Amino acid sequence: MVQRLSLVSLGLSFAVGVAAAQQRPITGKVVTATTSEPVAGATVSVMGTPISAITNDRGEFSLAGPGGAVTLSVRAVSYKRRQVTVPADQASVSVSLEPDVFNLEAVVVTGQATGVEQRNLANAVTTVPAEQLNRAPVETIEGALQGKIPGALIQMNSGAPGGGGQINLRGVTTINGGVDPLIVVDGMVIANDAIQSNMDAVTAASAGGNPNPQDNAVNRIADLNPNDIQSVEVLKGASAASIYGAQAANGVIIINTRRGQPGKPRFSVTQRFGTSSAANTLGSRAFRDSAEAVTVFKGDSALAGQLCRGGCPNFDNAGVLFGEHQLSVETDASVTGGNDQTTYFISGLVKKDGGIAPNTGYQKQSIRANLDQLLGSRFKVSVNLSAVHSLAQRGISNNDNTGTSPFLVFPSTPSFVDLRAVNGVYPSNPFTTSNPLQTFAELTNHEDVWRILGTSTARVDAVTTATQRLQFTLTGGLDYFSQRNDILSPADLQYEPQDGQPGTVVLGKGSDLRLNLAGSAIHTYTPASGAFQATTSAGFQYQNKDFNRTNVVGRTIALGLQNVSQAASITSQQSLQPEKNLGLYGQEEVLAANQRLLLTAGVRADRASVNGDPDKYYFYPKAAISYRFLQPLGGLDELKLRAAWGQTGNPPLFGARFILDSTAALGGQVGQLRPFRFGDTAIKPERNTEIEAGFDATFGQFATLGVTVYQKTITDLLLEQNLAPSTGYVSRIFNGGKLRNRGIEAALQVSPVRAQDINWILRSTFFLTRSKVQELPVPAYLTGGFALSLGSYFIQEGASATQIVGTIDAAGTRGVLGDANPNFQTSLSSDLDYKRFSLGFLWDWKQGGDVINLTTLLYDAASNSADWIPAGQARWNAFLGGKTQPYVEDGSYLKLRELTVAYNLPSETASRFGMRTARLSFSGRNLLRFTSYKSLDPEVSNFGNQAIIRNIDVAPFPPSRSFFFSIDLGF
Amino acid sequence: MRAHSRRILDMKKALIALVALTVGGGACDFKISDPNSPPSIGPNATAATVNSATLGLLIALREDIPNWVQKSSILGREGYRLDTADPRFISELLQGPLDPSNNAFGGGQWTREYRTIQSGYSILNVIGSAQITDAQKDGVRGFVQTIQALAFLMVLNAHIQDSIPIDVNRSIDQPLGPFVSNDSAYKHVSLKLDSARTHLLAAGAAFVFDPGPGFTGFNTPATFLEVNRALKGRVMAYRASLGALPAGTYTSPTGSWSACTVCWDSVITALSAGQSFMDTTAALDEGAYMAFGTGNQDTPNALSQNPQSAVNLAHPFIRDSAETQSGSALLDKRYLAKVTQRVPPLSLSGHTSNLSWLRYPTPISPIPIIRNEELILLWAEARLGQGNNAEAARFVNFIRRASGGLDSVTNLGAQPAATILNQLLKQRLYSLLYENGHRWIDMRRYGKLGQIIIDVPAKDKVFSSMPVNVFEVNARQ
Repeated sequence: MVQRLSLVSLGLSFAVGVAAAQQRPITGKVVTATTSEPVAGATVSVMGTPISAITNDRGEFSLAGPGGAVTLSVRAVSYKRRQVTVPADQASVSVSLEPDVFNLEAVVVTGQATGVEQRNLANAVTTVPAEQLNRAPVETIEGALQGKIPGALIQMNSGAPGGGGQINLRGVTTINGGVDPLIVVDGMVIANDAIQSNMDAVTAASAGGNPNPQDNAVNRIADLNPNDIQSVEVLKGASAASIYGAQAANGVIIINTRRGQPGKPRFSVTQRFGTSSAANTLGSRAFRDSAEAVTVFKGDSALAGQLCRGGCPNFDNAGVLFGEHQLSVETDASVTGGNDQTTYFISGLVKKDGGIAPNTGYQKQSIRANLDQLLGSRFKVSVNLSAVHSLAQRGISNNDNTGTSPFLVFPSTPSFVDLRAVNGVYPSNPFTTSNPLQTFAELTNHEDVWRILGTSTARVDAVTTATQRLQFTLTGGLDYFSQRNDILSPADLQYEPQDGQPGTVVLGKGSDLRLNLAGSAIHTYTPASGAFQATTSAGFQYQNKDFNRTNVVGRTIALGLQNVSQAASITSQQSLQPEKNLGLYGQEEVLAANQRLLLTAGVRADRASVNGDPDKYYFYPKAAISYRFLQPLGGLDELKLRAAWGQTGNPPLFGARFILDSTAALGGQVGQLRPFRFGDTAIKPERNTEIEAGFDATFGQFATLGVTVYQKTITDLLLEQNLAPSTGYVSRIFNGGKLRNRGIEAALQVSPVRAQDINWILRSTFFLTRSKVQELPVPAYLTGGFALSLGSYFIQEGASATQIVGTIDAAGTRGVLGDANPNFQTSLSSDLDYKRFSLGFLWDWKQGGDVINLTTLLYDAASNSADWIPAGQARWNAFLGGKTQPYVEDGSYLKLRELTVAYNLPSETASRFGMRTARLSFSGRNLLRFTSYKSLDPEVSNFGNQAIIRNIDVAPFPPSRSFFFSIDLGF
Repeated sequence: MRAHSRRILDMKKALIALVALTVGGGACDFKISDPNSPPSIGPNATAATVNSATLGLLIALREDIPNWVQKSSILGREGYRLDTADPRFISELLQGPLDPSNNAFGGGQWTREYRTIQSGYSILNVIGSAQITDAQKDGVRGFVQTIQALAFLMVLNAHIQDSIPIDVNRSIDQPLGPFVSNDSAYKHVSLKLDSARTHLLAAGAAFVFDPGPGFTGFNTPATFLEVNRALKGRVMAYRASLGALPAGTYTSPTGSWSACTVCWDSVITALSAGQSFMDTTAALDEGAYMAFGTGNQDTPNALSQNPQSAVNLAHPFIRDSAETQSGSALLDKRYLAKVTQRVPPLSLSGHTSNLSWLRYPTPISPIPIIRNEELILLWAEARLGQGNNAEAARFVNFIRRASGGLDSVTNLGAQPAATILNQLLKQRLYSLLYENGHRWIDMRRYGKLGQIIIDVPAKDKVFSSMPVNVFEVNARQ
């Protein structure tokens, strides 16, 4: 359901006291044109007056209208607006509404507090309504958005339970700046931090060639309950997101949670049962006989010979580890109701997803209450409160330097060794440092998060006349989460004694408190002639951020103990990041030429404590135009041409403006030493300038097609210049350079069949982006990866920002081997309702986009890949000959993201059990996968969310598919 | 209509005023400092800041030492790291090419050493105004310059075929200091040690800082001076042996080393009684160490490992060429103390070993910076260089007996110098095994890299030098 009620219409809905001389009651009923069912929650307003009413759940309304003939405007979510004239002598009216199949009249947020209808929008803003969001159950919201937004490359970082994924809107927008879109929930900017668990204390992943964290952190957008979401609106580029200023360079995702509907309380309950299974694991080389085994495992030739006596057995240890099918259960309940003064929506969720490996899984519980209250005739208060708890058990995965991550251990474990427990005791892995089966059985890796999110919005209609309206809104918000990471690696694990400090325990506590205050004043002027409508808005947005991460690692802890204070040695880290931001904005929107022409201009000014000059305001202007041609061609009902231009910023990362020492201890004393990075006391935000243009064509109720082209230019990039290390620094931060990003997006919606019994909508998205580093005031440099020979990204003037390089010969010569950027991405979804059955699916196809596949390299390095003879051997020999190419692999995939089959019980049957509605469904996520990629999954990022250095595959958690059987009941 | 417009205008003005008011009320101080880190040492530093910055120098240098010990031991075939998680310990360090972009591999022994040197200049540039006595200032100068010299020597040890920059005390906006010839670089290290000595002699009885547990017994100006002289002895021995190499032994853009036979005399001077701590009656492991710890924010010794699950292994030739102890079938005491049998053996890409290092048995085992046993061997080497073969042989045999438990080589002093040298190098191998890349450095400075065992002839190589860090090269283009 699209949030259709703009503030404009909400304002209208306030039954502003009008002491009209003559009053007469008008009653009526609003029904659907197709099935004549009542429409609840429709807004009925008397044109030219502030008088309005909302229909109850029988579709009925009553209002006190002025004397004489009146025109009523009737609007409801998912229906087309309708105007009816009620003659002076008529007291009741029946209004039937046509469905708005493609949501063209949905109001989309374009300012901080204003919106325009989809049909007038000058930007390609994608709206994902709830029914598309929840086609199949999902753990975290990113998964539910995959394949639904043209221009959004959404990839999970691994298959680990509990989320961790990146939403990239319109390609590369930065090299070193923040990469995540701004998330706005019910008008408040919320935190989307990713806090590392510090599994690094066990894996030492960052101790090797790349010091970046590789703990597979979850970004905290994961805390949202997808079931609570009414709609998601995606402002993809600077031209649409400009009004969010210096934080919106990566786009804005505006999430509106569900609101109460007036009427009797209506309960809905969904109960799901399901399970997950590994979508892929990796096997290893099968050995014929001991002679072959001994050539590979020379060091252990005696053991290899012994295990292979009379032919080598073949155990699939990886398949055993990731072969679980644990039960997943989810209960989701909500109740909504209210009257014309008060509406409420209350929901609760209890979810437990079983993992595909022992001691993995994801649990979430959430509760939400959204309340809207009219106080008198001019004042409205909305309060939204939610509390969420989640527990992710994520096992151990990704890169390591200690032989602990399963897909770093399996490569050197021959298939003839059986790692399964015998009488509850796991054997030591005689060929390498650990037995992953033992590790998963005993290791604890818990990420426990509590989050509260509260927003409160007050709106007041200060002035309402026939031609003018002035509204004020004030939104205050609080977003606090506390993340606790508990890692316990018991002393008896095979690898534990290796560092001389058996037993590792990690206690991490991270929290982020965001306090928001935003206010707007909106003035609307419509001359009596109705020739145009001018909306002026101005306001501010203030945010105070208090981020605190503390992590304590205890080593040498006795078996059975788990408290860090019982460890023999303790190391701790703390990072405090207080920040303040203030933005001011003003915007003018003019809707003219019989609502065909929309002109918008605005500017935002931002200051932030992370900037070199925290008192300086940076300005971000925008302008847009759209025009609708009605019936321009036969068969084409409407063609809108649009163009928009705007700027946004990307703030420097915390600490970029400082040049401070780092500290460490030696023998009980603390010393301070030069940092590796030289800060810039004049650092400023990156500036992202975007121009987009396109058209939207509407072919009646049959189809819509939107095509957009855009170009983004990012200047003042937050660059990190590598310094000559003889300066004592490794790099310095500064603003400079220029990055360009162009793309095409298309969205097609087709409704081929619409009849009494059948309703079918197909949606397709397509997009591609191409980036180019236009100016680079530093020498071209390698970034990401572990070494040139192991594949790396290479930032180079004139080249794509995501090009992958490696060595091409034995001399170590550098050559371009690929590009992580996909050639294109496209999706096809279908929702078919036939009588009581519905069938929905979503296919997601990424073509191209290379991945640095080091997992396969690890298998080949040990002569132990499943396809060693001859393919693996050929790859490895090429690598030894100086060629990285075999391990830079095409990451194309076609995935069946969502599938659902549902049956709605007849209402007679449902009512026999006291229910309004009842629905049975089977649904699945990521059920099918087609790819030639050799490692676990091409959707992978060893370093988590990254601007450039994604698509690096080092022993990730395997992907899974999930199946659910659901019962939805409405009372 | 006009009146109407004015009213709209008034309303918009009011709106702007209201917003401005709200913002004015809500505005607060945006100047937020970084609560996570201290500012660098500056003018008028307190004694506490001086202590913290001086100690920071050791911490900066320590960051590279385990990596250096491990890497140089592989380059010189003291051992391997047979790590399936990272094939580069074989594919790069044994087979090449060395990757100049990665500090953990070919590009290392540059960044952290220069960071140490520059952290030193951060102190030296402001120490004059510190709130401590003049003698204490000299103590700081002497200590800092000694550590800087050690850092320069580490860079030189890893990079023989290229020259290095020495004039680096510049702000980052100034042009980079030029690369100078190795002759000049060694001279620079030597002069720095001598300058440090002058300051230490004026530094009074005690330092204002505490260099920590690695310098127990060497933590006063007078005793630390003995470490300074020991390092001087090492530098001059390296310089002398390199100067004796045939011209063009290692390609160098700045030419070969000039001969320096008097450098041997400098070794003897620096190590003499009253100068360094060399003492044949003292413990052989007496000396200065890099300390490690498991305390908060401290660094454990990354080379400590469980020998039975270890992947850092000794090369089998270490066992194969070890001699037996005097009157016993047991192998060399030094071998037995530093290496143990691993069951089962490990094998990777044609390299196999069943010998685990136990040189650093615990995470707090210190790594030597320089110690008595090396000084005795340097003395022997210098005497050999001076042509005093008899004394050289006597000291070599002393080490054989005292450290290895071996018999003396009879009539060693009467053997040709080349034989004594080989015996000396062998004793240096076992005495200084897995300490600071001595094997690789020694074989190189005597032109004997070709004698290092190659396991996989078609693929494995012995490198003579690590490449200059690519970021240093790029920054100069």
